[in-house]
Order: sequence, then structure tokens, then C-alpha cells
Amino acid sequence: MMAVLSACGGGGGGGSGNTSPAASSAPSAPPISKVEAFRFLNQTTFGATEAEAARLIALGDSNTAYTRWFDAQIGLEASLLLPAVEAAYPNPVPANFNIGSLNAVRLERWFANALTGQDQLRQRVAFALSEIFVVSQVGALQNLPNATADFHDMLARNALGNFRKLLEDVTLHPAMGVYLSMLGNQRAVANTNLRPDENYAREMMQLFSIGLVQLNVDGSVKLDASGQPLPTYDQDAIEGFARVFTGWKWDCPSTLPTCTFANTRPQPAPGPGYNQVRPMRLYPEQHEPGSKEVLAYSGVALPNAIIPAGQGGDKDLQDALDNVFNHPNVGPFIGKQLIQKLVTSNPSAAYVQRVAEKFNNDGAGRRGNLEAVIKAVLLDSEARNPPAGVAASAAGKLKEPLLRLTQFWRAYDAKADSGRSGAAVNFTGGVNAVFGQAQGSSPSVFNFFSPFYAPPGEIADAGRVAPEMQLATEHLNTQIANFFWTQVQARTQAAGTRGADLMYINTADDMMTANDSEALINRVAERLLGSATLLSPTLKAQAKAQIERTVVPTTTSPTTALGTRTADAIFFVVTSPEFALQR
Amino acid sequence: MNRLRRKFLKAAAAGGAAYAFGRTADTVHAQMSGTGGFADYKALVCLFLFGGNDSWNMVVPTSTAEYNAYARSRGGGTASSLAIDRTALLPVTLQGQSAGDPTFGVHPSMSGTRELFSAGRLAVMANVGPLIRPTTKTQYQSAATLGHALPPQLFSHNDQQDQWHSLRGRAMLKSGWAGRVADVLNAQTGNQALSVNVSLAGQTYFHAGEIAKPYVMGANGPTAFTAFPTTGVGPSRRAAFESVLNGTLSSASNTVYERAYAGVQQRAVQFADRLSNAIASSYSFTALPNTGNLSALQQQLRTVAKIISMRHNLGLSRQIFFVSAGGFDQHDDLVADQPGLLANISASIRAFHDAINEIGMGENVTLFTHSDFGRTLTSNGDGSDHAWGGIQLVAGGAVRGGRFYGTYPVLETGGAWDVGGGRIIPTTSADQFAATLASWFGVPDQDLAKVAPSINNFSARNLGFMV
Repeated sequence: MMAVLSACGGGGGGGSGNTSPAASSAPSAPPISKVEAFRFLNQTTFGATEAEAARLIALGDSNTAYTRWFDAQIGLEASLLLPAVEAAYPNPVPANFNIGSLNAVRLERWFANALTGQDQLRQRVAFALSEIFVVSQVGALQNLPNATADFHDMLARNALGNFRKLLEDVTLHPAMGVYLSMLGNQRAVANTNLRPDENYAREMMQLFSIGLVQLNVDGSVKLDASGQPLPTYDQDAIEGFARVFTGWKWDCPSTLPTCTFANTRPQPAPGPGYNQVRPMRLYPEQHEPGSKEVLAYSGVALPNAIIPAGQGGDKDLQDALDNVFNHPNVGPFIGKQLIQKLVTSNPSAAYVQRVAEKFNNDGAGRRGNLEAVIKAVLLDSEARNPPAGVAASAAGKLKEPLLRLTQFWRAYDAKADSGRSGAAVNFTGGVNAVFGQAQGSSPSVFNFFSPFYAPPGEIADAGRVAPEMQLATEHLNTQIANFFWTQVQARTQAAGTRGADLMYINTADDMMTANDSEALINRVAERLLGSATLLSPTLKAQAKAQIERTVVPTTTSPTTALGTRTADAIFFVVTSPEFALQR
Repeated sequence: MNRLRRKFLKAAAAGGAAYAFGRTADTVHAQMSGTGGFADYKALVCLFLFGGNDSWNMVVPTSTAEYNAYARSRGGGTASSLAIDRTALLPVTLQGQSAGDPTFGVHPSMSGTRELFSAGRLAVMANVGPLIRPTTKTQYQSAATLGHALPPQLFSHNDQQDQWHSLRGRAMLKSGWAGRVADVLNAQTGNQALSVNVSLAGQTYFHAGEIAKPYVMGANGPTAFTAFPTTGVGPSRRAAFESVLNGTLSSASNTVYERAYAGVQQRAVQFADRLSNAIASSYSFTALPNTGNLSALQQQLRTVAKIISMRHNLGLSRQIFFVSAGGFDQHDDLVADQPGLLANISASIRAFHDAINEIGMGENVTLFTHSDFGRTLTSNGDGSDHAWGGIQLVAGGAVRGGRFYGTYPVLETGGAWDVGGGRIIPTTSADQFAATLASWFGVPDQDLAKVAPSINNFSARNLGFMV
């Protein structure tokens, strides 16, 4: 549990015991309101809860509480997915065992961490990174569940670390090696027209570091004289990097005679040769020996932006990753996406610039300090104080469908009798079929939605984006509404008589107010939105009217009626546009 | 700059103002029938093969010189060969073929495709891809110095998917050509119970229009809202739910995200029941049966066929469906994986053709493929990489099938069509492909440039593969 600073007779000011004016350190700022606490926690966790909001508020005032919360979170160890997958491996492994079934174990563990894990900030950032550095169980990784789980853990360990290390760990992780075919990439053989595979080279630049077009530090696109964007790389650079990324394959002990580029294989279970979770290993004879053209930009360290011939793969890799890491695009490209995943789809140019500059230099001369970048994203004035006036209509973002689910389950203390979180049986066809997304299950390396997506209409016309709207289709909205309807219905079954793995929400508190439609709708709004003032007048009036259509009997048991009224109240709020919005 | 593009850019900068498509009075009058809509029914079905289909293995030359060039380029005879054995290819005869012309065969997994081709119901687009204007290899290689306009970010998946969807060239369009077709035909189709554009494969730019909105449903059609049964408080709950959405949509004090979400939610509520009931009671196809183990693609096509069978019930005259199959980004394991991928496409196109003919709609429904790009002739060891021109298929009773359209290139690395690494430059443009389909669908000639912005740069506005 996160330590709560003992409140010395109330919040505000410094944490010292004496509060005489001469002794207090800084002037007191106002306390954080519950609405502000919910805003912050929806940006930094898998969903605000009243309990977490109260803890945050008690940490200090609006000058101190956020930083204290942040610092406590940084100190927490990463919750992992791999141990659960390893523990689920049968021993011995039966002959026709479906290894791919272990992916479900990873998904459940992810839910458990999202719902009850303490390192919420780290996990939320890891989730955002997993939508940029995408690997997926869909496709070549289907039967490599350990690698897929460990890839997520690698992101979680790096989430508040350094971007250069993150980029290297991603590049050498076998899950990424399999997913984007760097693993087993061979050097050229001229007389058979064999060329190195370009998949990882291309996507590494397009998605994981610099993007397709040159950016100014504020995220705006640089244009040439005729108004066209300037590309960041060309086919020569792709081929150059493709040649750098040759010769890596599954790790194995050199003492084994089968430890060759041709014969090395993935080992399925923990034990000797367990290489699914170890970085790929270089087999030097398969590494392209010649010089490699990489990225040219102002201030590039490599002369002529060319990696010299004959250095060997390890040095080539370091030079290549340094070359990418130091490209001026990285700060705005990655920084803007982190803002979009955590805070708002349409940050101001100035906000992007502040974050990108923090990436370029954290204040102590270090480039790529993700802890500093995340702090900059979340503590920026535009994150803490949303824009007013005309810009207010584009403040915030739409919540991803999966985060609507985790927030709902966290708010209502959802549990299964068996103790399993988010078991597959909860979702007809799987969580992806209902919510349109699931951790580590993207249909392609481009994630479930594009950071550039703009639905036609007022958003596209204003040159803005709303990436999460790509998942807000009639189909998915119906699936999700039906899921929530089942969830709000299910509380009538007693423990012991219902499916042991099904998640049930706890509505006892809500039911206690259900006799009074005003009190009920306000209670639900406080729990899901942070305040009843965030209900639009129409939502409040319609929900109350619907609640009142179920009459509570006075001569027979009122439980069923109270349950229906509670179900209506929760259903209307959880499916509302107000709840879909992350403010 | 093309006038159309300038108008689009201006409108995009205008910040929220709706703008009309500016059709002439003649156009509108010519298309109005007695009831204000089309008298007949037509449907286009776009089958998008996500990842970039390795299509030079789909339709392969079999005459000696041409096959040898293909095999050599694809690493034939080596451990990393991607070439199909000549003897395994299923021969096809092109209509009007003469002795001495190059001959062709289709991939051994595609017998259904071969049957449709032989029956004149399927046409092959021989070398098609995104182009802004006709482009030679020399122009491609000196594009920067010649100022020759190329579509940006060739070989990038999402950019090329966008190019196929939107035909945007170098303009910043956020609409797709199917969306713009629906906009052009809005006078005749705007009152349909269901959008012209229906996607069973998620949300893309393909069906985004300025006026017309698409409807996205699952592979097996839309589901009804379980919270709104027709009994008890269900109807009042539904009415209250819709009132909440109306409130959001008519409020100026909330965010663009809430309004966008509410708009989708509203359409979901309005259409879900009517559509899911219609589909549940629709015709049971033999070729795409209700029970049995259908692939994901076949499930989508079954739903398309069912909606088509209910066109009278739903008052539909024009529809564009979007379905997809994935897994085509074959950088690895191509030899092992390709047969299954192509077998699925071929069997699905064949089954869909048969199902549509069960309800006598063969000449009213045209299915066509799109894909991010073709792939490199050359092998990277066990697969191919992103390229440009490739083969697409068009199938249906209104197709002048049994023919190739465009020019089948010589598949020679380093040859006249190879712009590097075995990437073939297309000689037919995606705009021409779309314009031909749009024309058949009912878009008048003077509106084709709205649908396919680069079409005026090509001499052949209609490739002639539709009757």
C-alpha cells in the first residue's frame, strides 16, 4: 500500500508538525477537489476510485500532492506478467498441449494488475508504450506466450527509465524479433537476389522513434517550399538499417553444437536453453559486413551518416540506435503520443514543445529521461488545468474502451468468487470481440487505432484528431453497452450460486440509496464521474425518470425493485458520453 | 493544383462548415427516378487484403520466357525461392488470346478463381497501384529532380492503405472514395434505412464521406441492445437512452469527443434492432450456410449476402460493403503460409458469387479486391517485402471477365518495370480502377473526379471491365 503522509491537523502547506506562519515552508495552495483528483487519476491509473481520490487529496495541496503521489509511484516495483505464464505451464508438457492457450493467462494477469496492482502509473505508461511498441499474440507470436508476456514486462521496467535503453531492449527482444522479422534476418546473397528483410528497419523508424515526416520541437510538421511535408527517411536509410539488423537470432549456449544461426530454436518452457525471454544473440557470420547508410540530420555524429564497414554487429547496432535516438524528431514524436495516450488528443503546440524539450534535456543534461518526460506530461499546466474558452471543446480525450472497463471495475470493486480477474469467460468471444481491444492482441503493428485518426465531421474539419474514435463504431458501442447491461444485472445472484470466474460488481452502497432517485443518481455519478455536477441536465433528468419507472413495493420485498433501479442508474452513467470522456 | 484538391483543402481549413458537392442540375435530374431513388439495386463489395498481398504468385506467367524471368527473380532453384512450380499452376485461357501470346496460370490453391475466370465472371487487373499520373521508371527515379508527383510514403502499410481507401495522392483528404460515392449519390440514397456504406471489418477512411456516414457492424451483422427488450420498461429505457444522446448532440457546451461518441451511439440504437431482425429472418444460403465452419471472411460475406437478400425490406438501392482478410504481410514463411491465404480468398469469392446467384442478383453485385501493395519479386530469405504494383481481382455477373486489364509486366529484377529490389511500378492506377467501378455503380462521368481525384491525369477514365 502506498504510504499516506500523516495529516497534521489537515492538508495544505508543508508536512511539518508546527504550522506557525514563521515556520511554514511555502504558502498553502488550495486543496485538490474531488473532480480534479478524478481527472488526475484517470490520466495516471486504470481508473479513478473514490478511495484513491481521497488518498491523493490527503497527500497535500495542489502544489504538492501530485508530485508526492508521483514520487511514491516511481518507487514501486513493476508488476509482472511472465511469472503467471510460467506458473501455468504444465510440467511435464503433454504431447498435444496448446501452447497458445497460455496467452489467456497473460491477459488475466494484466487485468489483475490493472484492477488491483499498486504500481498504477508504471502500468498505465507501459500500456501506452505497448500501443506504440506493438507486439501481438495475433500471428507469429501465437505459440510464444512467454516471449509476449516478457515483452510487456520489459516495457514496464523501462517505462520510467531511459528511452535509449528502451529502444535497445525492444530491438533485441525476441518477441519483437519474431513479430517484425528481425530474428533470423540474413545477410544478402547477391546471386539469388536475397536481400535483408526490411520490416523492422522500416517500422522502427516509422512507429517507434521518428515517424514519417520531419517535426519541429512543438510537434508541427516541417514543410518544404511547396507546402509538402519533409520525409524523415528514404529507402536508402531503410536498406541501411535493414543491413544493420542482420545476424540476430535465438540465444543459446555456445557450448551446444546445435547453437548455430541455422539451428537455434525457441525453447517453450523455463529450463535449460530458455531463450524466449533473453535478448537475441548475434551470430557474426550472418551480419552484413559492409558500410550502412543511416539517418542524416543536423548534428549527426556519424560522418556522412554512414556506419563504417567491418565494425561487427554489436558496434553497428549501438551506432544505429544512437543515430536514431539522437534524431531531433524523437522528442516531439514520442512526447506528443504520450500526451495523447495519457491526457488529451489535441495538445497545444506549446504543451508538446515543453514535453519534447524535457525529452531533449531533463534539466540535468540527460536525453530521453522518461521519468522526467512523464512528469512533464502529467504536471504540465495544460494537463492540470484544462483549456478554457474555444479550446475547451477539444480538451481531454475519449477513453479507450478497455480503460472504460477497468475504471468501471475498479470503481465498483469488481471481483470473481474464484479470485481470477477478467477471466475469458466474462467476455463472449473474448475481450477483443467485446471491447475491440485487449492487451498484446493488436491486429497489426499499427495498434487498434491510429494516432492520426479523425472522424469525419467537426473534428476532421477543424484539423483535430480523436484516435480512440476509431474504436467507437456502432458495432463495438453495442457490444460494450450489452456487456455493461449484463454487469449491472448480475448483482442479484448470491455468491456460491454463480459462475466462479465471473466478475461481479459491488453495488451494496448504491442500493442503499435506491429508494430516492435523486440520491441514487448522485451516488452513481460521484462514484463513476467524481461528481454529480458532471451529469448533464438531460442525463440526470432521463436517468431519474427511468429509475422512477420501477416502483418500490412496500408490502413485499423491495430488493428486486431496488436492484433494477440501481441497474438503471449505473447503466445510464456508464454508457453516457460523460463517462466515455476522459476530461 | 487541381481545382478539386484546392476546394477540399479550403473546406478542411474552414473549420466545421458543411459544404455542398455542387452537382449540376442536369446530373441531379438525370438520376432521379419516379420515387426519387434508383429503380434498380447495385452493390459493390470491397475485399481488402491487409498487409500487402504477394500477388505475383496469384496469377503467374506459364509461357517459357516469361515464367523463367519470374522464377529467376523469385530465387527459383535456391533454398529461399518463392516461385511456384510451373507444373503446379492452374492454366487459364484469356478471351481473344492468340497463339504466341504469353500464357498464364493461377496459384494451385485458387481453383474457384480459375473457374470464375473461365466462366467470364472474373477479371484480372494486371498491374495496378496508387499513381497520381502515369509514371515511368525514369520518372520515378528522378522524381525529386523532375518534380514528378508520386504518392507519398510508398511501401508504408498505413499510408498505402490510406491511398487505396482515399485516392488522396498528395492532398490531405480525410475521406474515402466509397464515402465520396455515397455523397455524390446522396440525393437518390440519402433516405435509405441503412447507410450506403457498410463495413464489417472496422472503421477505415474508405467509407468516410462528408455527408454520408458509414455503418460499422460485426462479421455476423449488428447485435441488438439487450437493455431494450420490447417488454416491461425496455421501451421507456430505450427512449430515455435516446433522449440522452439527443441532448448531447444538441448541446454546444460539451466536448467534440462526447458529440462524436453520441452520434455513433445514436446510429447504433436506431439501426440495431431493425437490421438484426432482418438478418435473422433472411434467406438461408446454400453456398454460405448458416451453420458450419465458415472462415471469418466467409462469415462477413454471408452477412453481406443476407443484407442484399433483404434489400426490399430495408428499402435499399445502392450499397458499398467493406470486408477484409488479414495476414498478407508475408515477410516470413511465405511458402508455408501463402497457399492457405489464397485458398481462403478464392473459396470465399467463389462461394459469395454462388450465394448471390442463388437470389438472382449476380449482375447487380460486384466484388473487387484491394491491398496495401504488391510485394517484391525478390526473396528476403523466406518471404517478400513491401512493393507497389500488383494484381487485383474483380468478380460478378456484370464483369467482362476472362480477361486481363492493363499490362502484365515482365517480372524481371532490374528490368524495365523494376524500380529497385524487385518492386514493380504500376501501369494502371487505383483511381482508374475505382472510377470504372463507380461508373458502373451510377456515378455520372462529370462527377468521377470527385470520387477519384487523379482520374483526369489518365487517358482511360474507364478501363472497360464492367458491362
